[in-house]
Amino acid sequence: MTPSTILRRHALAALARERTIALVAALFAALVLVSAYLGWSATSTVDAIYASATHWFEANGKPVPSNPVTQGSPLALLRNLTIYISLIGAFSAIVIGYRMVETDRRAGVLPLIGARPLERLDYARGKVSALALAVGGLAALAGVVGAATLAILPSVHLGPGDWARLAAFFSLGWLYMMTFGLIAIGASARARSETVGLMVPTVVWLVLTFVWPALTGNILPTAAINPISALAPAPQSTIFDLSAMLLGPFSLAEAYKYLGAELMGYLPDGLPPRGAVPPLVVMMLFAAGSGLYALRGCLKLDMTKGGPDA
Amino acid sequence: MPDLSAIPTIALKDARIALRDRFLLAATLALVAAALISLITGTVAMRTDVATYMAAKQQLLALGKSLGSIAAPEFYPLKLMRGTIEQIEIMGAVIALIAGYRAAVEERGRQTLALILTRPLSNWQFLAAKLLGGAGLMATALAFVFALCAVVLALGSGIGIGANDLLRLAITWGASTLYLSAIFAVGFGLSLWLKSPASGLLYAFALWLLVVLVAPQIGDTMDPDNQVAGGVFAQLSIPKAEQTRIKQGFATYETIRNGIEVSSVTKHYERFTFAVLGIKDIYTGKALGPIWADKKGDAWFLILFTLGLGGLVLLRPIRADRLTKET
Repeated sequence: MTPSTILRRHALAALARERTIALVAALFAALVLVSAYLGWSATSTVDAIYASATHWFEANGKPVPSNPVTQGSPLALLRNLTIYISLIGAFSAIVIGYRMVETDRRAGVLPLIGARPLERLDYARGKVSALALAVGGLAALAGVVGAATLAILPSVHLGPGDWARLAAFFSLGWLYMMTFGLIAIGASARARSETVGLMVPTVVWLVLTFVWPALTGNILPTAAINPISALAPAPQSTIFDLSAMLLGPFSLAEAYKYLGAELMGYLPDGLPPRGAVPPLVVMMLFAAGSGLYALRGCLKLDMTKGGPDA
Repeated sequence: MPDLSAIPTIALKDARIALRDRFLLAATLALVAAALISLITGTVAMRTDVATYMAAKQQLLALGKSLGSIAAPEFYPLKLMRGTIEQIEIMGAVIALIAGYRAAVEERGRQTLALILTRPLSNWQFLAAKLLGGAGLMATALAFVFALCAVVLALGSGIGIGANDLLRLAITWGASTLYLSAIFAVGFGLSLWLKSPASGLLYAFALWLLVVLVAPQIGDTMDPDNQVAGGVFAQLSIPKAEQTRIKQGFATYETIRNGIEVSSVTKHYERFTFAVLGIKDIYTGKALGPIWADKKGDAWFLILFTLGLGGLVLLRPIRADRLTKET
């Protein structure tokens, strides 16, 4: 067994014992179920509104427009998942990444690991691979609940292409959550206090989710919590054109929501991404950058400090 | 009669520390930055609307047509505060949580809590002082935010603001102070009660997610008009009277949706401030009297929620095994 495998197993075992992690994971699972219900409930309501409106159109001799809910993909039922992954999923990944290093430090394990003939790179590999598995578990959980919901609903019929898109959506969600988990590993490895280790990734996440989109043209912060409003086009203005061009490539949350909407089939027709850089490239660059940050943090980690007073 | 002089002493000590270590400055700057970004982007969007209207007007006049075909828009500067209020709801709440955490950890971390409790001082007096200090901190930071917003509104909207607008901003400042003080109490209480203050902060963040984001999000996305880009009624081009008739058929659904929304204090804060500032169209240009009559329920919820949370923190005794940073 390689040193990084041992460290990965140890990190996952420690995570499994943590009540906080269990709580956050349970919250995430519950919200995935809520998302499925919301999608179904809201779609049924719009469908019923349409049926009611049809009578009025017919009675007034007007042409009946097509039903807005049948125009999109059935996967759009799960559109709220994009939001929950960007909120509670990203926060869960931050908590997992933060606890990954902090648990070792507080339990006094770090000096013991530092005394062993291990490379710091092994430590980094062990922690990052444990994070990838733990976050993968969250994404898989969301995937199973989402797929089961779509399979159970009688009015929803998915083809092989739809299932592939659903799998791609959860892979994208995994990448998004991983980015924040990696920032949390890097921050808690570098931080002087346990609070700073939690605060740094949380502030980065808050800024990217609620402040940055306001600068690129999605001017209302609460638009970030609605899957449809999050895709509102920027007001027609030279200033917003310029800010989207300059800041759009750094708008990770918008890139994720854009790609998520494209995969789940609820992206408004003709809506361009923010900035000239393709959203997938934005996400890959952020993931690579946060991976390097986590690696640097682990390589420079002070292995001499540990225990409750560290 | 208990000696209450210790309460202002401790509250002022907290204020002095916040000034000395620049936390007040950092918190205020963060809130100002978030609020101004929203206010300025809102102003840019409004000016774009004005320019679009003026261009359409010029075009119609050039063609010799009547201006009756385009409705002259009415611009209310306070409506531009919508993004700022939303930033206070979200980012302001995070700053309040951190301030609450900080107020607890500065006593636990420096072991001063144990020292203070050896003095002839009741637990509730100490806790009341910390809560008052936190409320003062929130009020000060928000006063800067609203003063700056008033200046930007006066200069940037191109319309100017009057005494009535300033009164509405002052009421909103009061409501915002109450809202952030309640969130401060959550951060402070959890960081004081839990085994490790960092765990307290973590649980506070999880609560923030549920109360500030998830509950309003569920209510918001259950709104059928938010399920289709541009709104379902607008997309189907259904006239207003017919919309009202159709909506009556979904009264139960709407009751459930509204019930989920109002379970969050954030929504009460939002509804009250949106009404006072005229952000919600039905309250635009309305006098404060009828607005109060309509929205006093939200205001009372906000007041009682804040007092209730403060009371909860005051009533819970400080545990002797939680006096240090880590146990």
